[in-house]
Amino acid sequence: MTVTQPSAPTTVRKDRATPPRSRANGPVSRKWATAGFHIGASALSVLWLLPIVLVLVTSTRSFDDIAANGLGSLPHSFTLDGFRQAWVDGGQERALINSMLVSVPTVLLSLLLASMAAFALSRYELPLRRTLLLLMLGGNLLPPQILLIPVSKLTELLGLYDSLYALIGVQVGFGVGFYVFVLQGFMRAIPAEIQQAAVIDGAGPWQLYRRIIMPLARPALAALCALSFTWIFNDLLWAITVLRTDSQMPITASLLNLQGQYVSMWNVIAAGSVIAAVPTVIVFLRFQRHFVAGLNLGAVK
Amino acid sequence: MITSPPSRRGFLTGAGAIGAAALMSGCVASSSGGSGSQSSGGPVTLQSNLSSPQAKSAMQNLVDSYNKRGSGKAELNTVASETFRTQLPTYLTSANPPDLLTWYPGSVANSYAKKDLLLDVSDIWSKPEFAGYSAAQQRLCTSSAGKKVFVPATYYWWGVFYRKSNFAKWGLQEPTTWDEFLGLCDKLKSKGVAPIGLGAGGNTAWVASSWFDYLNIRVNGAQYHRDLLAGKHRFDDPEVRKVFDRWSEALPYFDPNGTALAFQDATTALLQSRTGMMLIGTFFADAAPKDQLDDIDFFRFPVIDPEIPLAEEGPTDGYFASAHTRHKAEVKDFMRYMATAEAQEIYIKGSSGTALPTNPTAKDSGTALVKKGRALIESASDVTQFFNRDSSDALQPTADTALTRFLAKPKQIDSILTTWQRDAQKIWSQ
Repeated sequence: MTVTQPSAPTTVRKDRATPPRSRANGPVSRKWATAGFHIGASALSVLWLLPIVLVLVTSTRSFDDIAANGLGSLPHSFTLDGFRQAWVDGGQERALINSMLVSVPTVLLSLLLASMAAFALSRYELPLRRTLLLLMLGGNLLPPQILLIPVSKLTELLGLYDSLYALIGVQVGFGVGFYVFVLQGFMRAIPAEIQQAAVIDGAGPWQLYRRIIMPLARPALAALCALSFTWIFNDLLWAITVLRTDSQMPITASLLNLQGQYVSMWNVIAAGSVIAAVPTVIVFLRFQRHFVAGLNLGAVK
Repeated sequence: MITSPPSRRGFLTGAGAIGAAALMSGCVASSSGGSGSQSSGGPVTLQSNLSSPQAKSAMQNLVDSYNKRGSGKAELNTVASETFRTQLPTYLTSANPPDLLTWYPGSVANSYAKKDLLLDVSDIWSKPEFAGYSAAQQRLCTSSAGKKVFVPATYYWWGVFYRKSNFAKWGLQEPTTWDEFLGLCDKLKSKGVAPIGLGAGGNTAWVASSWFDYLNIRVNGAQYHRDLLAGKHRFDDPEVRKVFDRWSEALPYFDPNGTALAFQDATTALLQSRTGMMLIGTFFADAAPKDQLDDIDFFRFPVIDPEIPLAEEGPTDGYFASAHTRHKAEVKDFMRYMATAEAQEIYIKGSSGTALPTNPTAKDSGTALVKKGRALIESASDVTQFFNRDSSDALQPTADTALTRFLAKPKQIDSILTTWQRDAQKIWSQ
């Protein structure tokens, strides 16, 4: 538990600062405080982990067991058949490939475009750049739901409806504004002297971008990579807006497909959810360090 | 300032889409095979909302057997039922729609036919495949303009389901009249079980409408029920009030958890003998363990007024085709096949088996339960669909709100009915 680490040194220091008075009841009350903290924190984490455990347990039960004993009862069976049904019958294999086909190019393309825009906006005195940045921020405050029908009609007009390219296009379009905003804030903090030194050495804008700014912006890019991958991978709204064919659907939409018209096989749905969560968990674990660092990007100047 | 963000987004979306297409050109063509109706050639696309794994594979069998016949090619595309329901208007109005879609006949299909979104298939109804279809079925598939727009495939029935072993253990008989039914509830209550399970909680509030439908059919008759849902009568009329007077008599016997549990959990409660019986459609059998299906039986919703002819709820499922389809002849050929006994038997064999075929010569799955259900519908003087199918998907939420309020606070029925009428009026006048 990383939460306990910051609190430990402060209590020690406080203890040392006021030795005479707290010596009598200090250790006892501190023990209580520690116990209370651990009990409280454990209870909270149990509460937080409970839904995940429930999903994991449900995914290994058989449907007859759930139907006979209810979803909330203790498991009476153990089977991995739910995973097989979700993977084979539910078409999750194809859906996972689709999700990857959308997420990976989208992350790369949008970060490429965003970093270029952020480079120009942060390192050069472009006219109207403040307005442009405010517009990008303003665009992010707008609920995407109001654009569902225009986007759906537009993709149809462009002949992209029901293809993964439509989804990539939409995701890039909606993501770029936020990424530019974050990257611009980060790149602005890079000292001007580095750039000036490179210019004296004869570097043009392209070389500046490629050789100087991009390597320095790596922490921000890695954090955005993890964030955007999670967002795009977990998106459902745009997928069902621009796609219609089941063989094109990403994993989130195929999870929805596992629900029946009247009856839902909860074990298969739980197994499908576990499968769908695996890639994001892997990405999160891989980029964890950057992810936490990325959360306070721009918080401290 | 307020209007500029959407235009920026729209521009970016467009630019992004074009950019992505330009960057990776040539790949769009490879992905168009899915929707199938890009040109007048290619297979007929069947957009299906039967997304549960079993029903989906049964549909796939059906499509495969059609393709094997060689008269045409079809392709199945399954979408989650919830997505399908919300996207259906988009599918039908799109410039490049799926050719054939699963949905409901009657008033629901008619509302789309009125907007000229459905293909007129009157000519195939004169073909031999449709010879045995009854006049009632023909009426159901005809739009208000007199055109046939629908091909029925299967239907199911509603009944009061219970566990045979429990009724035998407690020495109980199936009731036929309302008084016997209330007496049965009394006996069940004395055994310590909640007599009537409901399952109108979670996201299945619509299950409560079955009680309204059946009470209205039994008290006021099927034709009054249909007229009421079409806006020809008012929900605050004394006739509707009589329905709720009857319901109030049975209300003390309802499971107090009835509006908390979704119907799937209510099914579990019935199987675990926590509730005695439940008014439900046969689709609930999908939520029961296979080894307990033999123990399940049902009886007809009790007779309240012997003067009123006995109508039953028999919701029909089937197919309609989009008016904008690019291959009309192929779609009609496929629809003719769907009406045959052979096609319907293939689907019923592959699905959970509680559905009944609409083609009178087709065999059902042959279990005792299904035979009894088929006899129930065939002996009925009239068949209604269900609240939302006899009215519209827009009217269903008004019923959900009103009935949920009634179940919680039956004393406020007058104000509930006034509100219901006001909400319904808004939808009828649209």
